[in-house]
Formats: sequence, C-alpha cells, structure tokens
Amino acid sequence: MNHFHVFFKKELRESVRTHRLLIILTIFFMFGVMNPLTAKLTPDLLAKFLPEGMIIELPVPSSLDSWAQFFKNVTQMGLIVVLLVFSGILANEITQGTLINLLTKGLSREAVITAKYAAMLALWSMGVLVSSLVTWGYTVYLFPDGKSHNLVFAVFCLWLFGAFLLAQLVFSTTLVKSSYGSLIITGAVVVFLNILQVFPGVQPWNPLVLATHNMELIGQNLEPSFFARPIGLAFLGCCLLVVLAVVVFRKKQI
Amino acid sequence: MEMLQEYWPFFVPLIASQFILAVTALVHVLRHPNYRFGTKAFWIPVVLLIQFIGPVIYFVFGRGED
Repeated sequence: MNHFHVFFKKELRESVRTHRLLIILTIFFMFGVMNPLTAKLTPDLLAKFLPEGMIIELPVPSSLDSWAQFFKNVTQMGLIVVLLVFSGILANEITQGTLINLLTKGLSREAVITAKYAAMLALWSMGVLVSSLVTWGYTVYLFPDGKSHNLVFAVFCLWLFGAFLLAQLVFSTTLVKSSYGSLIITGAVVVFLNILQVFPGVQPWNPLVLATHNMELIGQNLEPSFFARPIGLAFLGCCLLVVLAVVVFRKKQI
Repeated sequence: MEMLQEYWPFFVPLIASQFILAVTALVHVLRHPNYRFGTKAFWIPVVLLIQFIGPVIYFVFGRGED
C-alpha cells in the first residue's frame, strides 16, 4: 500500500510536469463551453447560409441539444485525447530505463500498474467533472427549460466507460512495447464492441451502451435500470483487466 | 460584432484557455529544441495557429525527451 501511495504521488507530479493535466483540463473545459454554444448557434448559422428565399422549419434548440453535444464531444474527441495523452505512460518509462532503478530497489510491480491506473482515473475524472459542470452551468444559463433528467447518472455511465477503456489501455501497454501498439489494441476493442452491437442478444450487456445511449437516459426514453448489466460488466472488466495487467507485467522482462 | 457582445461569456473563457495552452506549448517549444520530429520553425506555427489541437499534438507527438 505504501509503495502504491508513493508511486501514485510520483505519477501525479509527472502528469503536471508533462502537461498532461493542463491538456486534459483545458480541452475538457473547452468542450464544456462549446457544447451549449454550438447547440445555441447551429440553427442561426444554418439559417444564415441558406439561399435567399428558402424557408425551412428549424427546431428551437433546447437543453437536450446542449447535452447531446456534450456526449458526442466527450465520447469522441475527449476520449481520444485522454487515450493519446496516456498511451505512452508505461512504454516511455521502460524505454528510458527509469523504471529499472525503482524496481531493483524493491518497488513492487503491482504498485506500478495500480498507481498508473489510479493516476489515469484521477485525471479522467477531473476532465469529466470540469466538462460536465461547465456544460451544466452554461446550459442552465442558455436553456432554462428543465427538459434534461438523470444528468448525474448519464455522466457517470460515460465516466465508467472511460474507466473501462483506460483499464484496457493499461492492460495493452503491458502486452506490447510501443505506445502506438497499445492504442491500436484499445481501438480494436472499441471496434469489436461496436460490431457486437449488431447482435440483439449481446446488446443489453454491452458496455458500449454506456457511451452511446446517454441521451435516451436524459430524455427519459430509457429506464436507468437498462444500464445495470452494462455497468456491472464494465466494472468487472475494469477489475479483471487491471489484474491481468499486473499478472502480465510481473512476468515481463524489463 | 453583435454576436460577440451577446456571447462574450462564452468567447472570453474559450480564448483565455486557448491562450494558456498555446503559450505553455510555445514556451516548451522554445526551451526544449530537440523534438521527436519537425523543427522549431514547424512547431511554432503549429502550436500558435491550430487552436487547441496544435498544442495537444505537440505535447503528445512532438516533444522530445527532457
């Protein structure tokens, strides 16, 4: 536990030094501001670029559009940025040789993996928190319509999906040498989950719905209980992947 | 102009955060002139002109070892 604590602190300091924290906070803050603004301005912009005399009925934007932007941006660009920023987290230390000293001095390998995962989770949580709070604030300011429900739960689902992908990233960094290899494996897992969506029998279990069906939750078209099985599976997946990562990393030659 | 006046509570924080990110990246580009690829003349316009994505690309792909 002590090893974990020390290494976790070192990871957090490193995130500040390598500007990981700054990147994640500013990018997620930017999303937070952009989401409500895009929702508000899109109809106006469309109207401006339409040819003279053409009339189409544009729906009045609501808080739902703002949150739709949130879930679109954070699941796509947001997760990509987070995965990119963390992709080299283990590979760089192995190639630079900085880990060898620590490990020969008795730092446990479990501590390396768990502390790295915990640091990733901490930064991802901060990003999601900043982005959702800023989106929420501006959405209330622009669209005080009260049409959006289950916000905390919907954001939690997205957060858990991110945690699942990060666990996947940690596991894949123990399998391959390069940071790009781990990204490719993680990307392949997302593609695989997308393919699984085709089979109706798998759908109610697929963790992917945690990142794709959030708007149905906010618009109250789906019951929160719909997410129980994916949540359970994603949580199990996180634990299993981290345990597997520890097992593989213990046997790895550095 | 009208739009700027109406939506300044959005544009001011956006510009401020973009500015912080760009300046941090610019300082790093100038202080650590060994990059994984590219040159100083390549990275300066990238971090200053490509909003948000430029500095991220620099820190993820371009920065050399300290």
